[in-house]
Amino acid sequence: MKKEKKQKSDSYLVLEKYLLKNTKAKIGIGIIVFFTLVAVFAPVIAPYEATQMDFVPWEAPSSEHWLGVNSYGQDIFSQVVYGTRVTISVGILAGLLTSFIGIFVGLLAGYKGGKTGEILMRIVDVFLVIPTLAFMIILAAFLPSMGIVNLIIIIGALNWLWMARSIRSQTLSEARREYVDAAKAQGMGTIEIMFKEILPNIIPVVTANMVMVVTQAMLTEATLSFLGLGDPSLISWGQMLSVSFDNNAILYNAWYWMLPPGFCIATLGFSFMLIGNSFLDIYANDRGGAVSL
Amino acid sequence: MRGFSLKYVIKRFISAVFTLWIALTINFLLPRCMGGDPAEYLASQSAMGSLEYAELMKQQFGLDKSIFEQYILYLKELLHGNLGVSYMNFPTPVKDIILEAIPWTLLIVITSILISFALAWFLGTLSALKKGSFFDNAVVGTSFYIQSIPYFWVGMLIVMAFGYYLEWFPMGHAQDAAVTGGFLAQAGDIAYHAFLPVLSMVIVSLAGRMIMMRSNILQVFSEDYIVLAQAKGLKKGKILTKYALRNALLPSFTGLMLSLGQAVGGAIATELVFSYPGIGLTTMNAILSHDYPLIQGCFAIIAVSVVTLNFLADLIYPLIDPRVSLS
Repeated sequence: MKKEKKQKSDSYLVLEKYLLKNTKAKIGIGIIVFFTLVAVFAPVIAPYEATQMDFVPWEAPSSEHWLGVNSYGQDIFSQVVYGTRVTISVGILAGLLTSFIGIFVGLLAGYKGGKTGEILMRIVDVFLVIPTLAFMIILAAFLPSMGIVNLIIIIGALNWLWMARSIRSQTLSEARREYVDAAKAQGMGTIEIMFKEILPNIIPVVTANMVMVVTQAMLTEATLSFLGLGDPSLISWGQMLSVSFDNNAILYNAWYWMLPPGFCIATLGFSFMLIGNSFLDIYANDRGGAVSL
Repeated sequence: MRGFSLKYVIKRFISAVFTLWIALTINFLLPRCMGGDPAEYLASQSAMGSLEYAELMKQQFGLDKSIFEQYILYLKELLHGNLGVSYMNFPTPVKDIILEAIPWTLLIVITSILISFALAWFLGTLSALKKGSFFDNAVVGTSFYIQSIPYFWVGMLIVMAFGYYLEWFPMGHAQDAAVTGGFLAQAGDIAYHAFLPVLSMVIVSLAGRMIMMRSNILQVFSEDYIVLAQAKGLKKGKILTKYALRNALLPSFTGLMLSLGQAVGGAIATELVFSYPGIGLTTMNAILSHDYPLIQGCFAIIAVSVVTLNFLADLIYPLIDPRVSLS
C-alpha cells in the first residue's frame, strides 16, 4: 500500500512536469483534441454528405459552401470535416503498429545486446538505406488491392527503423543503471526487465517517438494517396489533394480546394511534433545531455 | 591518406553489397509473393493481344524453371545490366527508359540537397548563435511546421504561385522543345525548368536539416574545449570558425548520407507535380499502365543509386573526420 502511494505521487510529478507545466504540449494536445472532436462529430458539423454531388462544380466559397465546391459538385468543407476521420485513424493506427515493432526491437537490441542486438541493428541499418517511400510504392503497386487495412499495415510496418534506433540507444544507457542490476538480482527475466523496469523509465522518449511517428504516418498516407496508391473510396485529406491535382484545380484557380486539406495535415502533424519535441527537451534536461531521435 | 584504412573500405563495401543484395532480392520476390507471379501477368498481357511480348517475358524470366533458377537468372541478367523489356513502350528495353530518366532525377535531387545543406548550415548556425532570440524562435517554429507539410503540397502551391499566377516559371516539364541553339541556351532552359522543383524540395528538406545543425552547434558550444577557448579570451567569431563549425558539420554529414533515400522519396512526388521526366514520374507511369518490368527496373535503379551514393559518402567521411576509420 505504502509503495503504491509513493508511486502515485511520483507519476503525478512526471505528469506535472511533462504536461501541466508544458505549454508546447498543451498547445499540441489542444489542436489534437480539436481535430478529434471534428472527427467524432463529423456528421453534425458537416453541412452535407461528403459524397453528395448535387452542387454547381467549381463554385468559389460562399455562405452556402464555406470552402466552395469541387469539380464533381461536392461540398469541400464537408469533405474536409469527414476527411479528418480517415487521416487521424490511419495516422494513429499505423503509428501504433510502428510503435509496437519499434519499441520491441529497440528494447531487445538495447538490453539484450550481444549477437541478437548486433544482428537486429544490422538489419535496421540495411533497411534504413533502402528508400522507404520507393519501397512502399512498389509494395502498393504489386498488391492486388489497396484498402485502408493494407494502407495501415504498409505504412505501419515500414516506418519503425528510426524509432528502433532511438529506443535502442536510450535503452543502452538505461541498461547500465543500478535499478536494472537490482531487478536482475531479484531474478526477473529479460522480457520482464525490458517492459517493467526499463520501459517506464524511458517513457518520455518512447512517447516522443510515438507522436512523431503518427505525423510521419499521416504524411505517408497523404503522399501515397496523392500518388494514386491510396484507397480511392476513402475521403482523406491526401485523397482530396490527389483528386484536386488530377482534376487541374490549379488551372481552375481552385485554391479553396487545395489549401484547406494541406493546412489541416500540416497543423495536425505540427501538433504531434510539438508534443514530441517538448518531451524530448524536458527529458534531455533531466538526464543532462542531448537526446536525439 | 591519413586515417583511411583498407579494412574500413572493405567493411563499407561489403555492407553496401549486402544492402543491395537485400533490396534486389525483395525486388525479385515481391511480384512473386503478391499472388501475381509473372506467369499471371503473362496470361493477362497475352489476353491483351501481345503474344510476342508474352514469349519474350517467358524467355526473360525463365518461367518454366524453378524459382531458385529464376532467381539466379534474375541476378545474372541484372549484373549484365539487363532489366527486361517494357510493356508500355514495347519493345524498348527497360534499361533505355531508365537511362533517359535518371539524369533528370539526379539533377534535381543533388542540386536541392546541396542548396538545402548550404542554407541549413548558414541559418542553423545563425539561429544557434542567437539562441532564444525572436529570430531563433521564428526559425525553429517555422521549421517544425514545415516538417509536417507533405512534399507534394508545397510543390502544388509553388506551381500555383509562380507558374500559374505570376507566370515567372514553367508549370512543368524539364525542357522546352522549341529552345534550340547553343549549349548555353539549352542549359539555361533546363535550369529554368528545374528551378521550381528544386525550390519546392529545398523548402521541405531545409527545415529538418536546419534544426539538426542548430542543435549540433549548441552541443559543440557546451563542450570543454570551447569553454577553454572562451576562457583564453578568443573572439566569438574565431571560436566559431576555428573550432565549432568544423565539429558541428561532421554529424550533419552523416545526416547527408541518411537523407539521400528520403530525398529520392521526395523527388517521386515532386516529379509527379511538375511532370518532371525523372525516375519518379517513370515509376508512377509504369504503375498506372501495369508495366511490371519497368516498375521493378525503377526500384532496382533507385536502390542501386542510393546504395552507391551512400558508399561514396562512407568513403569521403573519414577524409573529413579521421576518427571514423579508427573506431
